[in-house]
Amino acid sequence: MAQAHRTPGPRAVSGQPFVFKLVLLGSGSVGKSSLALQYVKNDFKSILPTVGCAFFTKVVNVGASSLKFEIWDTAGQEKYHSVCHLYFRGTNAALLVYDVTRKDSFHKAQQWLKDLEKEVHLGDVVVMLVGNKTDLSEEREVTFEEGKEFAESQSLLFMETSAKLNHQVSEVFSAVAQELLQREVREAQAPQGDAAMVLNEGPTWQAKCCAH
Amino acid sequence: MSLKSERRGIHVDQSELLCKKGCGYYGNPAWQGFCSKCWREEYHKARQKQIQEDWELAERLQREEEEAFASSQSNQGAQSLTFSKFEEKKTNEKTRKVTTVKKFFSASSRVGSKKAEIQEAKAPSPSINRQTSIETDRVSKEFIEFLKTFHKTGQEIYKQTKLFMEGMHYKRDLSIEEQSECTQDFYQSVAERMQTRGKVPPERVEKIMDQIEKYIMTRLYKYVFCPETTDDEKKDLAIQKRIRALHWVTPQMLCVPVNEEIPEVSDMVVKAITDIIEMDSKRVPRDKLACITKCSKHIFNAIKITKNEPASADDFLPTLIYIVLKGNPPRLQSNIQYITRFCNPSRLMTGEDGYYFTNLCCAVAFIEKLDAQSLNLSQEDFDRYMSGQTSPRKQESENWSPDACLGVKQMYKNLDLLSQLNERQERVMNEAKKLEKDLIDWTDGIAREVQDIVEKYPLEIKPPSQPLAAIDSENVENDKLPPPLQPQVYAG
Repeated sequence: MAQAHRTPGPRAVSGQPFVFKLVLLGSGSVGKSSLALQYVKNDFKSILPTVGCAFFTKVVNVGASSLKFEIWDTAGQEKYHSVCHLYFRGTNAALLVYDVTRKDSFHKAQQWLKDLEKEVHLGDVVVMLVGNKTDLSEEREVTFEEGKEFAESQSLLFMETSAKLNHQVSEVFSAVAQELLQREVREAQAPQGDAAMVLNEGPTWQAKCCAH
Repeated sequence: MSLKSERRGIHVDQSELLCKKGCGYYGNPAWQGFCSKCWREEYHKARQKQIQEDWELAERLQREEEEAFASSQSNQGAQSLTFSKFEEKKTNEKTRKVTTVKKFFSASSRVGSKKAEIQEAKAPSPSINRQTSIETDRVSKEFIEFLKTFHKTGQEIYKQTKLFMEGMHYKRDLSIEEQSECTQDFYQSVAERMQTRGKVPPERVEKIMDQIEKYIMTRLYKYVFCPETTDDEKKDLAIQKRIRALHWVTPQMLCVPVNEEIPEVSDMVVKAITDIIEMDSKRVPRDKLACITKCSKHIFNAIKITKNEPASADDFLPTLIYIVLKGNPPRLQSNIQYITRFCNPSRLMTGEDGYYFTNLCCAVAFIEKLDAQSLNLSQEDFDRYMSGQTSPRKQESENWSPDACLGVKQMYKNLDLLSQLNERQERVMNEAKKLEKDLIDWTDGIAREVQDIVEKYPLEIKPPSQPLAAIDSENVENDKLPPPLQPQVYAG
């Protein structure tokens, strides 16, 4: 299929500065879409999609800087698993979502991670493991510890949420945003020391001029 | 001879009357003193020379002009004519040719200032067999008009774009991947230059980039879309055949959450299919992407109407696959490859357009890999359907015929509706007749009743029996009245 030429950084070629692409991965009905919808809905400033709930954008402020999330929802059904690697192209972050009441979805999330590894260099992508549906605690099949342990072994971020109760939802995204920005700063610092300062002061896209 | 001319009183030397070439025939001032035969020969020679010169000049000027302020009509005329055609149409072409050349001059003089700039970059190019269409000219013109609004930056961009286009001309023999690489590099360098050197704000950079893409890709399209050096065409045919072989796939098999029984939904489905097919007719990658996005929006609408809630990716991808299967868009792989190779990468990796494009890629990849399992069928069934031995619809039920195709279904529906209407009409007619009868009966009844009453109580006018003056005399109850009060005198 279509070959990936290059992966443009978040501060890609033209225009919009600090756009981060985030893909939602996980098997069917673990609540990927709900998670994103809940998150976008919280913000009165953002415009809700009128027709579809598959592609969202949201501007996030982390400290002094702000970034724009582009959230790509993916089809979670098993049969589409084989083609979903196409979504990974050029992604900056990924949420591996599983349902805490379904063990199989947890295993599936681990499989997604393997697929992701094949397509992208994990060091370039912020990956977070998210256990959703904590509101159904009596049906829980995956414990918090299990999730945490796996996340740590793979050095992923980890959180448990409830999209239904809107518990920890925005925290998930802010954590990812923070991590992304930190990495940006680290990268910017590597070639040139004062890039980070510019990053924190002015409009973020200016950092680009210095970094390149 | 001289006698004759003297007699006529015209002082013309004999030699002047003869053909200048000295062939012995008479010449004619209209033919510059040549006889008709010599004039034709002379004229041809001169024309030939002039044509050649004009053509060279025209080509040179046209190159410059086109890159500056192309006038679409004049370009059209000159470009489509080749030298051999000139020779064929020598005599009747003169006027047209002259005006064309004139147009070149007037046009190029307008851009005198630009010319100096262009000259330096001008490559000693061989005559390019350029077949510019009206569209290309229009796009060039628009591009220049657009850049004008950016003054100096615009000029800079124009220069770069022109250099790139010239470079691409020589790279035509390279592999398509290399050409794509060049284009991508160009996008990147232009955008970067604009931001760092030109200090153009990001949102404007995006706009300019769109215009650049439109300009260069409209011109390169012919050479880089489905090029012969690749197997794109083979892939196109393969996917087309594959989709045709999968004609039996039903929405149920793909778990498509779209109910085409609802007229609005089937409307949306048709629109989505139209959009995805339309993609092939666009030249610019971004326009192609816009078609995909439009198609996707219709799909979302269709799902929303069916499910009464906004669609998620879990619903969207199957529906897109279904639409692609139903539409079988022409040159699907070529289009995808072309977009991937030549679209501005920032648009492809991110943004809504990028998202829907990725979904389309997924849909195509899925169709290529599609097997029994992904349709929840047994391998035998799948094989039988694929080989065309049976169709799932035939098996499902006997009344497959109304389901056979949308048109037939609609026809049955319409027939049903018509018969219902007919029934209603009859009922209305009956009721109306009944009402009419009732009304007539009612008037008759009233008339009869009135008649009866009139007959029963005939109207008699009796004369008054007693005069009114005797009204008191017969007052029989007078005695019942109390006696009138009498005045009484009290002592005291």
